Amino acid sequence: MILNLLLGVGIALFGFVLQTSLAGVNRKIIGRLQKRHGPKWYQEFIDIFKLLSKRSVTHGWIFDFGVIMALGGIIGTAMFMPLTTSFLAFETFDNFFIFVYLIAVGMLGMAMSASGSGNPWASIGVMRALTTMLAYEVPFLVVILTIIKLADSSSLTQIALYQQMAGNNWFIIALPLGGIVAVLALMGMLGKKPFETYIAPAEIASGPMVEYGGKQLGMLFIMHEITVFIEVSLFVHLFLGGASNIFIFLIKYAVVYTFVNLISNVNGRFKIDQVVLFFYKWPLLMAVVQAIIAIYFGWVI
Amino acid sequence: MANIELLILFLAGSALISYVLTRFNANIGSFFTIFVTMFVFVSLAGFGFAMNLDTTVNYLPGFTFSQSYLGFYFVIIITFVYLMVSFFHPYFINKFKYRSSYNFLFLLSLAGIIGAFYTNNFLQLFFFFELVIWTTMFLIPQGKSREAAVSYFGFSLAGSVALLLGIFMIFSQTGTFDINAGLAGLSGTTSVIVFILFLIAAFAKLGAFPLHIWLPIAHGNAPHPFSPVLSGALVKLGAFIAIFALIKIAPNTQTIGVLDLPLGHYMVALLGGLSIIFGTLMAIKEDDAKKLLAYSSMSHGGYILVAFSLMNGLAFAGGLYHILAHALASAGAFMAIAAVARVTGTTKMKEMGGMIHKMPITYLAYLIAIISMAGIPPMGGFISKWIIFQAVIDKGLIFVGIAVFFGSIGSFLYVFRPLAALFLGQELTEYKHVKEAPILMLIPTFIIMGLNIYTGVFPAKILDFINKIIVEVGYVPISVSTYAITGANDSILNPGLISLVFGIGVLIAFIIFILLKKSRKVELMDTYTAANFVHDEHLLHYTTDFYAPLERLYEKQSNWMTLFYQALAQKVKDLGSFCKYLFMSNHIGRTLLWIMLIIIALLWGEAL
Repeated sequence: MILNLLLGVGIALFGFVLQTSLAGVNRKIIGRLQKRHGPKWYQEFIDIFKLLSKRSVTHGWIFDFGVIMALGGIIGTAMFMPLTTSFLAFETFDNFFIFVYLIAVGMLGMAMSASGSGNPWASIGVMRALTTMLAYEVPFLVVILTIIKLADSSSLTQIALYQQMAGNNWFIIALPLGGIVAVLALMGMLGKKPFETYIAPAEIASGPMVEYGGKQLGMLFIMHEITVFIEVSLFVHLFLGGASNIFIFLIKYAVVYTFVNLISNVNGRFKIDQVVLFFYKWPLLMAVVQAIIAIYFGWVI
Repeated sequence: MANIELLILFLAGSALISYVLTRFNANIGSFFTIFVTMFVFVSLAGFGFAMNLDTTVNYLPGFTFSQSYLGFYFVIIITFVYLMVSFFHPYFINKFKYRSSYNFLFLLSLAGIIGAFYTNNFLQLFFFFELVIWTTMFLIPQGKSREAAVSYFGFSLAGSVALLLGIFMIFSQTGTFDINAGLAGLSGTTSVIVFILFLIAAFAKLGAFPLHIWLPIAHGNAPHPFSPVLSGALVKLGAFIAIFALIKIAPNTQTIGVLDLPLGHYMVALLGGLSIIFGTLMAIKEDDAKKLLAYSSMSHGGYILVAFSLMNGLAFAGGLYHILAHALASAGAFMAIAAVARVTGTTKMKEMGGMIHKMPITYLAYLIAIISMAGIPPMGGFISKWIIFQAVIDKGLIFVGIAVFFGSIGSFLYVFRPLAALFLGQELTEYKHVKEAPILMLIPTFIIMGLNIYTGVFPAKILDFINKIIVEVGYVPISVSTYAITGANDSILNPGLISLVFGIGVLIAFIIFILLKKSRKVELMDTYTAANFVHDEHLLHYTTDFYAPLERLYEKQSNWMTLFYQALAQKVKDLGSFCKYLFMSNHIGRTLLWIMLIIIALLWGEAL
């Protein structure tokens, strides 16, 4: 049991390192895309450790407690994440819903802390983040419903194994409409443009983050990196057939994250009500059509 | 050994005594109420779990009682909520106009509850139901509004009439008022009609779409300590009737092949889904904290209906667990709001802010309650929602699935609203003098906090008991071991492990936090304002129309149901005035017309 827990913490740490490096590399890629040099690939590490070393201000106990709860919840969620189909901390307990709901503890902690700062921009940012969540989660969960019904399991590794079996395609191919919905939902989850309304730096002064600095901001940066790790890994396991070894996982992970980042950088930003209307129009319709043809008619490629 | 009949008589007698005592001194009467509810709870808990209650009847002629696991499950949850709430009475009783009748009716309604769940006769069930409805009807107007009681009574009456009609239909077909024999003997078209009638009663009591209008009015305006009972306990009577209809009658309507579900049950699941969506959207929009929680009760009622209509042991277990989880969460949230309302005198969120600095324990109670309500681990609501999700996915119900997911994500939005607007944010000047709730009010708060966590971390014991109920109604029990629950789709949940891992995560974060440099404490007003000088807390407190951009999207549609019921009420009024016009006027001509018509009818009655 102790070993499993240590392994879980190791996976969370691995996720942090992986995502932080990849985010740095991506900053470089985006820089080249915009004809700049871009920062060094380890710039994100420098940012985080600089923040952690600085002395900061606090707005009361809930401001600190929320940050701890946010980072704690996310580390806890990452501890359940499988890296490959056989390499995970708690075998058979990697249920899909744990990720959706345990991640919410972290989100709640951050929202609480931000609101506790007493800055209205922070509350507006939280409002926008929650509204965005309401928008992208429902179509995404309908696609997941289809997947769980088809794979007859809600365990991530079982779903990945189902896709690796001979005769079955990756779900992004088997369920093409659902795949598109999932990519859009992933962009919403990661807060990539055009769905980055809740950060919106020039508009609401970075939203939830407006009051943070020093170690609190550093910890929220760590939390953000691990959150991205969880969300992208979920996509890899659910739609890209998981990974039978760690290298395949790294390749798939890097491709997904870079792909989403590239799309994001050529987009503008939606208004918050446009985000809701967008997700409840085409993605939801596509998800429902996909679910009906896959579950009731059994047409799966 | 406790006797059910004696318990009911004891409660009725204590109700009278508490009336006299409260007349004499309100505080003594309230403490007496606490002890009476505690005695009843302890005797039920002591003997009920092993079905050791005595059901013989010596004093009440014509009454019969029997015990079942199902009835006990309901009665213990509801009695528990009554007990918890009774601790609040000494601090609220002086605000009521009719103090003595408050305590009297409170105990009498508890007697009705115990009778309703332990009876084995339909007529007695109806009698006890009416006892509960009539006593609570007089409790509600002691809060803010008298109209709330009218609305509550109107919808309850519609439910009661449907229930009574159903009971008579059962009697006409089977010739018995015995509950088990009557339900088992139903067949053919009668069973479908009784199914629909019982469901109307269940929907009215549960406040499910489309019979939900009374719920926010009654819950929002009821006395503060009575709202937890209404939402946490009394609406569950509807779930009890829903079990009769959906599980015990379960008529043979046409089966939808692809879903493997009878059409009637599928319709109920869809209506449950509509309740979820409607309750969620209205809760997001609501500004009054108690009305917001009332709409959330409606949405949770929808989950219970969805779970009961799926017709298998797993979903049934999820529904039953949800009843417990929601009772605890809703009672906890309503009690926290009551504690705040006691010191601020309002439940409007836009008038409050920053209560956390003066009432941290109340805040924690609310936080834990809403985590459970939103179905986030490690609280009880997660377990039940997880089981219901698994059951819905296993059946492949897409449209119900959309509603279930929408309600689950939407609940993050509406539960966060009181958290941000009422407890967090700027500390408003007018509430800088308030104090934390007194110790007697904190006792139930702590107990409910503990139970919210317990139900989320160690559900095995409770699920074992639920398995007994499942066997009792004839489904396949779910597989539960000490640490793991197995759902459909070959999925396993280990709630203890989730809590442990979450705890370790928080521990790591805490260590990181404590190792780094200490932060400097600054005032809440010392925030980034883009170099503007803001001098007033109210200007920096974001509470009004919290989800304005989202609300704007369904603003026009949100009052459709209210308009519908207003129109309906207008039609009933018109009908009334038409009858009045015909029968109750001084106009001699109309009187003569009626006399003539009656004489004609009498004379040619046979020929007609």
